[in-house]
Amino acid sequence: MRAHVLVAAFAFAASIGHAGTRAEAAALEGRVDAAVLYNAGTRALARGDTGPAVAFLLGAHRVDPRARDIRTNLAIARTRVEESEGSSARGEARVSSAVALSPAESWGAAAALAALGALLLWASAFRPGSRFFPLLGGAAFAAGILWAFGLALRAREEARHPQAVVVAPVLDVSPAPEERPLSPYLLAAGEEVRLGRARGDLVEVRIGGNSIGWTRRSGLWRVTDAARYTENSGSR
Amino acid sequence: MTGRRVGILIVALLFLGLPPRAARSNTSGSGKLSITAKLDPDQIAPGETATLTVEVQSEGLNLPDVPLPALSGVGVERAGTVQNFSILNGRVSRTSTTEYRLIPRGEGVVTIPPLRVAVGGDRAETAPLTLTVSHTVTPRAPAPLRGALPPGAAPAGTPEIFVKATVDHPRVYWNQQVTLRLRLYSRVDVIGDVDWKPPSTDGFWTEGLGPARQGRQIVNGKEYAVMEIPTALFPTRTGTLTIGSAQVRCRVARVIQPPDPWSMLAMPDVVPQDVSIHTDPIAVAVEPLPSGAPAGFGGAVGDFRLAFHVDSLTARAGEPAAARVTIAGTGNVATIRDPEIHARGASREYVVGTSTKVDRTGDRLAGQREHDVAFVADQPGTLEILPVHFAWFDPESRSYRSQSTESVIVKVLPGSGGEPRPGVVPGGLAAAAARRSSGPLGTLSLDPPAASAALLGSSIVAFAAAVLTGRTRRRRFRDPRTKRRLALEAILRHHLARASSLAGSREPARAAALAEQAVLSGTGLRYDVELLGLAKAERGEALRSRGASDGEVSAMESLLTALQAIAYAPPETRSSDAKHAIASARRSLERYRKEMET
Repeated sequence: MRAHVLVAAFAFAASIGHAGTRAEAAALEGRVDAAVLYNAGTRALARGDTGPAVAFLLGAHRVDPRARDIRTNLAIARTRVEESEGSSARGEARVSSAVALSPAESWGAAAALAALGALLLWASAFRPGSRFFPLLGGAAFAAGILWAFGLALRAREEARHPQAVVVAPVLDVSPAPEERPLSPYLLAAGEEVRLGRARGDLVEVRIGGNSIGWTRRSGLWRVTDAARYTENSGSR
Repeated sequence: MTGRRVGILIVALLFLGLPPRAARSNTSGSGKLSITAKLDPDQIAPGETATLTVEVQSEGLNLPDVPLPALSGVGVERAGTVQNFSILNGRVSRTSTTEYRLIPRGEGVVTIPPLRVAVGGDRAETAPLTLTVSHTVTPRAPAPLRGALPPGAAPAGTPEIFVKATVDHPRVYWNQQVTLRLRLYSRVDVIGDVDWKPPSTDGFWTEGLGPARQGRQIVNGKEYAVMEIPTALFPTRTGTLTIGSAQVRCRVARVIQPPDPWSMLAMPDVVPQDVSIHTDPIAVAVEPLPSGAPAGFGGAVGDFRLAFHVDSLTARAGEPAAARVTIAGTGNVATIRDPEIHARGASREYVVGTSTKVDRTGDRLAGQREHDVAFVADQPGTLEILPVHFAWFDPESRSYRSQSTESVIVKVLPGSGGEPRPGVVPGGLAAAAARRSSGPLGTLSLDPPAASAALLGSSIVAFAAAVLTGRTRRRRFRDPRTKRRLALEAILRHHLARASSLAGSREPARAAALAEQAVLSGTGLRYDVELLGLAKAERGEALRSRGASDGEVSAMESLLTALQAIAYAPPETRSSDAKHAIASARRSLERYRKEMET
């Protein structure tokens, strides 16, 4: 319960940076409706199209990470991916935690925390004597800055190696663009990877921070681009 | 013992005598993993090679590698691996076939132990195999060396050892195969391995044609042992290209005859000698392909055939129908551009995979390239896979050729599940239904929103400014002179103001006493000395010791005397005098404060 209240407070703090009516916000470029992505992902999941389902639901989860329906269907889609890969550990679908903030909310909350710390320090600068306010201000500011630093690292990693989802039924990964694989690494639809360098129609695939090889770019959707695809978008 | 009991005992003994089946099963208990191994041939003569083929099949994407255990007395070379996968009802299964060349170093029986694979909890293993190496086995005939030295390429005389590089076509089209043969001719024994330094082949795509071949040939009337390394070269640009010089280094056994051939004790000496020889560069003229290439020509040069295969002529809505195009023939198959495959009526299409198999056993590089595409129709009806067209240039007939397939109609039946279901996964977690109302708006980017970035930036600036301000203030408060000045300001602000107020409210005695205290405290702060409680003479001495002039000391004492007089005089006559004296005290203390500021 406390966690929910904390998250709600952070979300409220984050909403300070997003003033404006819903219509105005919708008009802003790059804003997407979580429900649209969620519905597209749910329909793809019902069709058995696990790749686009995971991509759409990951996009919806980024926008609205606390929505139970999004978390539930994303967990089911990920379980389907594991099943199609022939994973021997077929357990229950694990729904992600409801204590989460979207990237925009996280940035807003981190900035608000840092601003609160700065205000407390200003107050202590003109009211010398008390050690409580400087300590509290410094701690709040440090927490906000550290949080923002973590978010910046995440954003940098996303910019350099964007998160992507395999949408083709199977993608074969070659060790190098010009090489024929001796023992090809296969990726199944719905697998979540990160992308690296691109060369022609090929793109470098990374898992767990390591490059595993090169594959066709058309077989992958970037989560950032999930809103650009339609439900019938295929892979060439 | 009855006959029936004897029968049961015999059956039991037979079961006990058999090896446990689970330990020797080549398929796991769940049936998801299997492994088979085949040895061909299983009896060879010394110097020959046998091929061990290991095939692993696994449901899912996890396909383990099969480590071949070390075999004593046998050299093992991995000849190649072919992998395949299939998707059936959304499930993937993979097959891997690996070939090993086994080269025994001597006679005997070689036992290949069981090969084991494991994926998760599934395990499978092969039965042990045996390879018999014996002189009693009739050796297979060695592969003949094709092509003698062209006229003019033979060396003058009959040298003991020489090397030659030849090509089959000195004039070719772009991307047409040129077969380069590097041959080492020797009439003396070669000791150990031969070190080949391949020639430079700038402007060519290079593909080796298998391991070195051995044979014998007659050159200028002498028989030579010949070792040949064939290579397929494909020109990637036109004009005159040069194949550089190849170098061969080896050690030969030279026989030196004794000086006196009639001596019975004189035996011929065998002396090892290092030899380094090289080939001459070869020029190859590469012509561009003739004009008039048909539509869809993607640069394939050679002799090819197109085959087309569709998995099934019926499919269910929402399930994939797979089509495979196979291009097989001789030429550079690795660089063939895959033909376009499209379908009418498909909701989605996916390139499932592309694989290339190359056959390097002959003089011409051959192989096949497979291109798999899956089509998915969401609605029942028909799915028409459109004709596939492939064009190539045939250098033998010097013309372009093409081949097309017929269109294929796939009947799409209703989906097996009727209406799409969101689904239930193990554990009973039911999928949530679609939303009817709009949800929150947001961005998929992880970058900071502009407002948050601005707030964060201004917070950093404000924090830095607060830290600097606080530090400056603390530093000022730590300075003793500043501390004294601030205390003096407090006296001016509070004590003298209070004294003025009392003087105005007809309490001159209290006002003068308060002002006297303020003057003593203020003067003490100015000169950093404690004056309260000191006698007049002691005050003067203390102030002079701290740098006060006699005039200042006497002025302060006069002011104190005036204030004391007011403090002990009748109240009705002294109010204006008190105000006057307090004003004098304020002026003195103000002067002190200014002096302390400088």
